[in-house]
Amino acid sequence: MLTTALSGIGPGGYYAVIAVLLVLMAQLTRVVNFSQVAFGMFGAYISVALMSGQFQQSIKIGIKLPQVVAVVIGILVAGLISALVGWIIAQWLPEATGTARSAVTVATLLSLISIAYILFGSRPQPFKPIIFGPLMELPGGIVITKISVFSISLAVVVAIIAKIVLSKTMLGVRLRAIADRQTAAELLGVNVKLMNVAVWFFTGAVSGLLIVFIAPTQSSDIFTLSMLVVPGAAAALIGAFKNIWAGLIGGILLGVVQGFFAGLPDLIYIRDWIPIIVIIVFLLWNQRKEVWDVAR
Amino acid sequence: MSLANRVRLQGSPWKPVLVAVATLIVGLALTAILPDQKWINIVTSVLVASVSLMGLGVVTGSAGMIALCQLTFAAVGAWVVEWLFVNEQLTFFGDFAFVVYILIGGLVAAVGGILVGLPALRLRGVNLAVLTLGIAAAVDLTLLKTGFPAFVAGMRVERPFNLGPSSVASDRGYLAFVIVAVVLISLMVVFLQRSRWGASWKSVAFSERSTASSGTNVRTAKLSAFAVSAFLGGLAGGLFDGQIMQGNAYSFTTINSLGMYVLSVVAGSYLIDMAIFGGILFILIPEILKVFKIDLQWGNVVFGILGIQALTTNSNLGQDIRNAIYKRKMSKVPPVELNLAPVEEKKVVEVPQGTGRTILKVRDLGVAFGAVKALQNVNLDIEEGTIVGLIGPNGAGKSTFVDALTGFLPHHTGVLTLEDIELDKLSPSRIARVGLRRTYQQDRVPDTLTVGAYVYFVSRGKATPEEIADTLEFFGCPDPTVPLRSVDVGTRRLIEVAANVAAKPKVLLLDEPAAGLSHDEHIAFGERLRSLPSKYGVTVIIIEHDLDLVRSVCTSITVLNFGEVLASGSQEDVLSNPEVLKAYMGETELL
Repeated sequence: MLTTALSGIGPGGYYAVIAVLLVLMAQLTRVVNFSQVAFGMFGAYISVALMSGQFQQSIKIGIKLPQVVAVVIGILVAGLISALVGWIIAQWLPEATGTARSAVTVATLLSLISIAYILFGSRPQPFKPIIFGPLMELPGGIVITKISVFSISLAVVVAIIAKIVLSKTMLGVRLRAIADRQTAAELLGVNVKLMNVAVWFFTGAVSGLLIVFIAPTQSSDIFTLSMLVVPGAAAALIGAFKNIWAGLIGGILLGVVQGFFAGLPDLIYIRDWIPIIVIIVFLLWNQRKEVWDVAR
Repeated sequence: MSLANRVRLQGSPWKPVLVAVATLIVGLALTAILPDQKWINIVTSVLVASVSLMGLGVVTGSAGMIALCQLTFAAVGAWVVEWLFVNEQLTFFGDFAFVVYILIGGLVAAVGGILVGLPALRLRGVNLAVLTLGIAAAVDLTLLKTGFPAFVAGMRVERPFNLGPSSVASDRGYLAFVIVAVVLISLMVVFLQRSRWGASWKSVAFSERSTASSGTNVRTAKLSAFAVSAFLGGLAGGLFDGQIMQGNAYSFTTINSLGMYVLSVVAGSYLIDMAIFGGILFILIPEILKVFKIDLQWGNVVFGILGIQALTTNSNLGQDIRNAIYKRKMSKVPPVELNLAPVEEKKVVEVPQGTGRTILKVRDLGVAFGAVKALQNVNLDIEEGTIVGLIGPNGAGKSTFVDALTGFLPHHTGVLTLEDIELDKLSPSRIARVGLRRTYQQDRVPDTLTVGAYVYFVSRGKATPEEIADTLEFFGCPDPTVPLRSVDVGTRRLIEVAANVAAKPKVLLLDEPAAGLSHDEHIAFGERLRSLPSKYGVTVIIIEHDLDLVRSVCTSITVLNFGEVLASGSQEDVLSNPEVLKAYMGETELL
C-alpha cells in the first residue's frame, strides 16, 4: 500500500512543477494558462522529431540532430510559442479581466493540440529517456526514481528562483507592479509588454524542460500530456493560484493520493477523478467567505 | 414615444413563433427533398450540434463564464437514453418513450450541471473553467473504460415512432423528428433569453454587484445559466444517440468540447441563428476537409485561430452582423439622446415634507478596514417620504455607508432596520427585495440588454410594462426597445435610477446620480427627484457633490466627515453650521 502510494511521488513531482508555473503565471500575468503543458508538449515533440529526422510519416528532414541540441531547440520552441501567446494577450487584452485573458489560452490549447496531431501524427512518439532508472532503493522495496527527484527539484528550484527574483530584485518589483496595475506601471516607464513576454517565455521553456524529461516515463500521446494541466491546476488551486509553496506541496500530495488509489484495483476509476475531487473540496472550503467581482 | 411601443419592452413575442413555424415548414420540405443518406445525416448532425451550441451560448455568451465540458453533458444525455432503453423503462409512454428518455437525459445532465457548478460559481474567474476541463477529461477516461450501455448490452437504440434501423427512410424520418425538436428547443431558448432569467445571465456577466443589488441572487443566476446549458447539452446528446443508435466515448471527447467552446465564442451562439451557423461549421468543415483528403485536425486549428481573434477583440460574428444592421437602420434616425426637459411650471413640486414616521434606522453603525475606521458611531433616522442628502468631502465614508446599508459589508457593527426588518444578516439581494435599493457611482448597466429589458429585470415584476414606460418617460430616458449599447453613460445612469424607482422600493439610495449631466439637466433632474416621494411612495437618500442639487431637493441633510456624522438636520441649520463649512469647503473659503 505504502509502496504504491509512494510511487505517486513521481507524477506528483510533475504536478508540482506545473502547479508552480501556473501560480507564477496567475500572479504575474493574470492568466490561468490552460496551454501551459501544451507548450511543453509541443517543444518535446519538436525535439523528438529533430532527433529522429522525421516529423510525420510523410514529412522527412534530412538530418538527425544529436539529443542535446534537439532538446535545447525543443525547450526554446516551447518558450517561444508561449512568448508569442503572451505577446498576443499583452497586446490586445492588457486591461481585460483574468477570465477574458485566460480564455485565449483555451483557444491556443485547441490549436496547439491540433497542430501537433498534424505535424507529428496521432501515434505516441518514441521519446528517448534522458535520465532513467532508480536513484536509490529504500528498505521495504520502495524505489525512488531519478526522474521523480529531478521533477521535484525542478519545482523547488523554480519556486526558489521566483521567490528570490520577486522579493529581492528590481526586476521582481517591476514584475509585481505590472501584475497589479499594468497601466500605472506603463506610465512609470516600465516596458510592460517585454516583461510580460519574458515571463511567458520563461514558464513556457520550463514547461518544455519538464516534458522533455518526463515524456519517456509515462503515456506520452499529445492529448494526455497536454491534459497534465488539469492535475497541475488542481494543485495550484490548493494554493488558490497565489501560494507557490502550497501549489508545490499540493502537487506532490496529489500524486501520492493518486498512487494510493492506483494500488486498489477495485477503485481504479477513482484515480482519474482525484484531481476533480481535490478541486471540488478546495472550492467548497474556500467558499466560506463571500467575494465580489470588484472592490466597490 | 409612440403608443404602440409603450407596452413593448423588447421584440415582438410573435416574431420568434412565426420564424419557428416558417423554419419548420422549410425544414420539413428540405427533409423530403434531400437526395441521399449522407446529406440527411449531415443535416441531422448540424442540428444536433446547434442545440449543444445554444447551451454554450447561454453559459458563455450570455453569462460570460468559461465552460469546457459541453460534450460531457451530451455524453450524459446519451448515456441516460441508452440506459433507459436497455433497461426497458417507461415503455407505457409507447411511441413517446424516446422523447421522454431524451428529456430525462437532459434533466440528469442539468442536475449534473448544478452539482458541478455549485462549488465553482461562488468564486469567480476561471474556477469553473478549470473544473469543467477536469471533468471533461475524467469522464472521457471513465467512458473509455466503461463504454455505453447499448454497446455493453450488444443492442442498438430504437428510434421513436417505429422508424426502424438506419435506412434512407428511417434517417429521413429521424431528421424530421430532430427538426421538430430543434425548433421547439430554439423557441424555448429565445423565450428564456428574454425572460428575467436571461436578463440575470447578462447582468451577472457585466457586474455581480449590481445584479445582487437589483434583488437577484448572483449564485442562482450563474447556476441557472449553467443548468440550462447542461440541459441543452443533455438534449443534444440524446438526439445524437438516436441518430447513431449506439454511443461511444470518441464522439464526446474533451478536444471536441474545447472546439465547441471556441466555436461558440466565435459565432456568438447565444443567438439562435448563429448557433445553427456554428453547427454548420462544426459539422461541415470536417466534411469538406474529408472531401479534399486534408487532415481533419486543420478544422480545430482554424477554430482555434478564429477563437483567438474573437477573444482578443471581444467580438463575435453574430453580434458584429447585428451591430452593422442596427447601425445602418439607425443612421436614418437621430441618435438617442437624453430628453430631460424642465418640468412645466404648474407641475413643479415643492421639497417633500415627510410623514413623520421613521422608515430607516441606523444605530451605531461602524465599519473598519483593518486599522482604518471608515465609519464609526453613525446614527441616523430617515423619515418616510423625505429626501435626505448625504454630503461630505471625499473619503468621508459616504459610499462605505451605502455599501454597509445594502449588505456588501457584512462585517459592519451596529444595527440597521428598515421598518421592522433587521438588515444586518441579510444578503445584498435580500436587502434589495425587502425594499432598500441603491444605484452606483460607476456604470453598472449591462449593455447587452435593451432599456426595457433592463428595467423589467431590475424592477422584478413590481411594475407593469405601462408603468415601466411611464417611469422611463418621466426621467426623459430613451424608448424601451433601444439597446443599452447605443446609450451614453450619463443616460445609462438615469436609466438605472428609473429602473430602481420602477422597482418601488421603500428606500432608494442614489450614489451621485447626476454626475455626467449638464447643469440644465441637473435642474430638470432635481425637479423630478422632488416628486419621487409623492409620485412613487419612495423615500430617497441622495449622495451628491453638487450642493445646488442638494439644496433644491433635500428635506434634510446629513454631513459625514472622517467616518462620523458631523451634522444632521434641516437644510438651513446644516449648511450654516461653521463646522460643516470648514470640513466641506476648507477654512479659507468661509463665506
